[in-house]
Amino acid sequence: MWKLFLFFSILSLANTAENINSDLINKNVQRTIDLNSQLVKITGTITIENSGKQGISKYLIGFERDLQGSVSYIGVQDSQKNPLKTSEVAVIGRGTNELFYQVQLRQSLEPEKTITIIFEVIITKALNPYPHSITQKEKQLVRYFGNHYFYSPYKTQNQKTEVLVSSRSIESYSKLKPVAQTDSIITYGPYSDIAAFSLHPLTVHYENNAPFLTVTRLERTIEISHWGNIALEESIEIKHTGAQLKGPFSRYDYQRETSPNHHSIRSYRTILPALAHSIYYRDMNGNISTSTVKPHKDYIELELKPRFPLFGGWQSSYILGYSIPSFPYLFKKSSGEFVLNIRLLDHVFDDMAVDELETHIVLPVGVSNVKVKAPYEIKRLPDGVAYKYLDNIGRTVIRASKTNLVEQHIQDIEVTYTWKSHTLLHEPILVSIALFLIFVIVIIYVRLDFSIGKPEHSKKE
Amino acid sequence: MADTGKLLRYSSPVNPAVFPHLTIVLLGIGIFFTAWFFVYEVTSTKQTRSLKKEIATAVVASIFSGFGIVFLLLTVGIYV
Amino acid sequence: MSQAGTKKGAVSKLNRNAAINSLIICVVLLLAWVAGFASRLFAVIRFESIIHEFDPWFNYRATAYMVKHGFYNFLNWFDERAWYPLGRIVGGTVYPGLMITSGSIHYILHLLNINVHIRDICVFLAPIFSGLTAISTYLLTRELWSSGAGLFAACFIAIVPGYISRSVAGSYDNEGIAIFALQFTYFLWIKSVKTGSVFWAVAASLSYFYMVSAWGGYVFIINLIPLHVFVLLLMGRYSNRLFTSYTTFYILGLVMSMQIPFVGFQPIRTSEHMAAAGVFALLFAVAVLKYLQSMMSKSEFKFLVIWGGSLAAGLVFATVVALTYAGYIAPWSGRFYSLWDTGYAKIHIPIIASVSEHQPTTWFSFFFDLHVLIATFPAGLWYCIKHVNDERVFVILYALSAVYFAGVMVRLMLTLTPVVCMLSGIAFSILLELYLREEDSGPSEIEGDESTQGGKRLYDKAGKAPKIKHEQVKEQDPIGPNIRSIAAVVLVLLLMLFVVHCTWVTSNAYSSPSIVLASYGSDGTRQILDDFREAYFWLSQNTADDARVMSWWDYGYQIAGMANRTTLVDNNTWNNSHIALVGKAMSSNESAAYEIMTALDVDYVLVIFGGVIGYSGDDINKFLWMVRIAEGEHPKDIRESDYFTEQGEFRIDAEGSQILLNCLMYKLSYYKFGELRLDYRSPAGFDRTRNAVIGNKDINLTYLEEAYTSEHWLVRIYRVKKPDEFNRPRIPVANRVIKSSSFISKKNSKRKKGLIKNKPVVIKGKRSQ
Repeated sequence: MWKLFLFFSILSLANTAENINSDLINKNVQRTIDLNSQLVKITGTITIENSGKQGISKYLIGFERDLQGSVSYIGVQDSQKNPLKTSEVAVIGRGTNELFYQVQLRQSLEPEKTITIIFEVIITKALNPYPHSITQKEKQLVRYFGNHYFYSPYKTQNQKTEVLVSSRSIESYSKLKPVAQTDSIITYGPYSDIAAFSLHPLTVHYENNAPFLTVTRLERTIEISHWGNIALEESIEIKHTGAQLKGPFSRYDYQRETSPNHHSIRSYRTILPALAHSIYYRDMNGNISTSTVKPHKDYIELELKPRFPLFGGWQSSYILGYSIPSFPYLFKKSSGEFVLNIRLLDHVFDDMAVDELETHIVLPVGVSNVKVKAPYEIKRLPDGVAYKYLDNIGRTVIRASKTNLVEQHIQDIEVTYTWKSHTLLHEPILVSIALFLIFVIVIIYVRLDFSIGKPEHSKKE
Repeated sequence: MADTGKLLRYSSPVNPAVFPHLTIVLLGIGIFFTAWFFVYEVTSTKQTRSLKKEIATAVVASIFSGFGIVFLLLTVGIYV
Repeated sequence: MSQAGTKKGAVSKLNRNAAINSLIICVVLLLAWVAGFASRLFAVIRFESIIHEFDPWFNYRATAYMVKHGFYNFLNWFDERAWYPLGRIVGGTVYPGLMITSGSIHYILHLLNINVHIRDICVFLAPIFSGLTAISTYLLTRELWSSGAGLFAACFIAIVPGYISRSVAGSYDNEGIAIFALQFTYFLWIKSVKTGSVFWAVAASLSYFYMVSAWGGYVFIINLIPLHVFVLLLMGRYSNRLFTSYTTFYILGLVMSMQIPFVGFQPIRTSEHMAAAGVFALLFAVAVLKYLQSMMSKSEFKFLVIWGGSLAAGLVFATVVALTYAGYIAPWSGRFYSLWDTGYAKIHIPIIASVSEHQPTTWFSFFFDLHVLIATFPAGLWYCIKHVNDERVFVILYALSAVYFAGVMVRLMLTLTPVVCMLSGIAFSILLELYLREEDSGPSEIEGDESTQGGKRLYDKAGKAPKIKHEQVKEQDPIGPNIRSIAAVVLVLLLMLFVVHCTWVTSNAYSSPSIVLASYGSDGTRQILDDFREAYFWLSQNTADDARVMSWWDYGYQIAGMANRTTLVDNNTWNNSHIALVGKAMSSNESAAYEIMTALDVDYVLVIFGGVIGYSGDDINKFLWMVRIAEGEHPKDIRESDYFTEQGEFRIDAEGSQILLNCLMYKLSYYKFGELRLDYRSPAGFDRTRNAVIGNKDINLTYLEEAYTSEHWLVRIYRVKKPDEFNRPRIPVANRVIKSSSFISKKNSKRKKGLIKNKPVVIKGKRSQ
């Protein structure tokens, strides 16, 4: 019995795992590895050639076995900037600690034809501060471990890689000829005729003063009210994940340090939707007054300064909330259903890395038939129930969570539900009934008689 | 994603700019009737009391006050 | 009094007037509540809804604990994050009334799903209770005099600065609810003395129970009420009403007050409560005598009264004294004894003497806190003496004792304020009535009590004996209409000035959160100095959860409340030797202090330094008190005279005493300050608070390192180095077991001399950047 079961499971696995089609050849790969921020951004163009006899519509992008950091986002477009569907797959013959993404081409690639695709990969936690801990005055140096070659399941005929670093003071970088360094760009290549799955470790050790700020936890609560308002509140915990601070923190030296390029984090900019109002920025001790709001034409820029500057290993937390009118986000279908389009994750700062996101959407009282459509894969937690002001029936709360997000994950989530407009009267009627009950109690009280005896001598109030 | 361009935008049944004015009017009437109710209760004796008048005043007062309180909460920013 | 427009149907005129009266009273009291509430909101509007000062932070933390863990866990709470390593038994050392009040409001609101955070409830509790205080003052004054005087008194107490100072929004302290409980208990007591009903006496004892749970000043009630009874007995005003009310009140109040863990058995074991017991016994003796009087002849009775009465009184007094000497009854505690002997605290209990609120009151603060009321209150007092009855004796005694105590300590201005408001209300009411009373011969519209008195006074003025009613119409009214209007206008102006003064004082003097400082630039822009919260938040986020912070006791509650870290000493100041240890550590040099700090297991030291912004409440200004308190316990190690110059001055510049310039507090405050130039005019190391350049500019710390300093150098936190960070032996490279990977052997040929790293690349034609 169990043999049959095993057979079927292997069969099903075999169905989901992909085969590497060795007819595909990477004719030319141009790769740019941008190491200027805390994230590793790899962008590139691949020219794929089909050297086989059949049309191929799937292409695999692979990542090294011991990849430093974790892949947060991968996006592929064709040469007309149309996005191509990408999904994570398992590949036959490769171990489970290798990551593969399958790209679905729009049209099948005919034999002898070539096609160009543009890819973008963002890897978080790939840059290691080295030395691990520094004093306040020292510079922050980080190391990047990569691959000289483009790691691919297919042969590569010609490839070139450019590594962008933030400063000219590069401590060291691994050399594999031909290599050249100009200003802040290291050019590797061109390399020709590289086999599939070839790996040659690339190391760059350089100074990186970009803010190494990780949002360790972001809890976003969105409250919908059919009186025309959506209230958002984000509870954010941030941590400086660069080189740890060793030794004392001297306020005197910090105040004398005027260069904007320092490894400590003084402030950062958050972008809010244009119609946001009633913005508050506080933490558990109360309001934080060091923030500035700059309204622009189609967004509001909020410069947030944490209470204290963040050095390596220091963390902070705050709550940011604002209200937006509901008309840009809430739509009504003719069938009486409502559609809500709101961002699952919003901008915290440029080049952000969010470790854990949890979004709660509190729907109004009396909704039913809720459907959720997410822009990318999320983990849906069981629906909760919330009680806000003047609620005796609970409100449905949709909860979703995801880990390892970056700026490219700022996309809308769509929630559809059914709601009757007369439910809006629910709250006023509730308050009126409560007040009426008080009046009834007074009416009854006035008719009561508590006197013990006939009121001849005793003087009652 | 549904094509939101084709859908109607939902907006509140009451214009948010009107909230403060509605609050003042409704709460004002509500407080007036509440005061009338309580003065009636204090000054009437067993013989002069009329249940119908009491209930009528109470109903009117509670409805206006109830709506007034909800609009007060909306004006302040607690969107219930 | 002018009449408001009426909307009544066909009701009888009396009923209609009663309706208008009750409506006016209701409206005025409601407006007083709103005015009192609004007037206390300056700090919330200017800054935010936050708990102020020091003590309220502990109350807030205790309330938050109670809300989170439940009432019984709160009563049994042993706080190990305070007074490390001793801990504090919170349940037994706190007056729980405040926490219970906020906790129950929070519970009820959450039941109705109105999710108000406990901090907001705590911040706004005192303004809400100020409205209730106004109402209970109205009730009390109405019992004493009249409804009009009651309304005046209610309006006064709603906005008077003496009360606002301790009940502003954010000041979450016992006095906020205690004054309400005080006035309400007094109202119920007066009511029970007037009616002699057990119901009112029981109500009074319940209210007294609430007062005992709310404030340590309940001792005032339990001494004033017996004093009132005693004076009534002396005046020969004994009555059955008095007997019923006092006996019921005393016994029930005694039993209920002992339910509070903090009070415990004190009501039967301390001198402060003995007066109540003594009067209780005396009252019984008088009652017995009165009963016997009805059965005996006059001469026999007179003999019995004199001998029996004095014997009874002497017996009671002797018992109390004997028990005190025997030790069963504790003598007067230091706090209350210092009210009698004002020089006692400075010599024996320096901690009490060091608090600025315990200094004697100046004439200035009487006027500042009470404005015109302090001038009109003797008039009201005089009227009460002139028309004395049972309840007015009470208010006379209340006024006299309150005036004495207010003169002793600034803090006790608060107990003077309610009685001043009441008596001024009476004075204003009489005055306005005199000048506004219109001539009419019909039955008076205002309550009968008032009108007959008004009639009496009107004709008293002419010096004639009071006439009978039918002659009223024939008498000429001696006050002309012009004087009437002038007097009315002047009185109204006076009251308006009072309101203006109260609002101004509240806005400028009593509305600072002291957690957040604000400075105003030359163009009026406001710069907020949020250093305290910045440093406390840093502490809470970037130190270990069980880290111990040593600081002076002023900041203990704030550190526990905002930074949530274990402290060594805090504002409760119950253990003087522990505070003296901390003071000794702050006053000694670094190595001696390090010994104390390692013995106490301290991880961080926090000091407040105001030299950069000119903040005068910093630790260097408090330093002498630290020395004095330390000297009290360790006179051999610390001597106050060491910290002064030879001329006896306390100086921090180069002329200062060397012991001062090398003590831990000095070093921690001025570390690296010697290099800081505040602006181009002043030299480096110029202390703005003391207006001097510091004496010791190159400070080196061996045992501590700077962990964090806030933006304006207001709060400075230092980390105490652990013993294993010193004396680390260095192992030569050859003997090391673990070789680090970055080790480059000197024998490598690559490490050539003259190799330049990061050589700038110069490309011809390109501009170097």
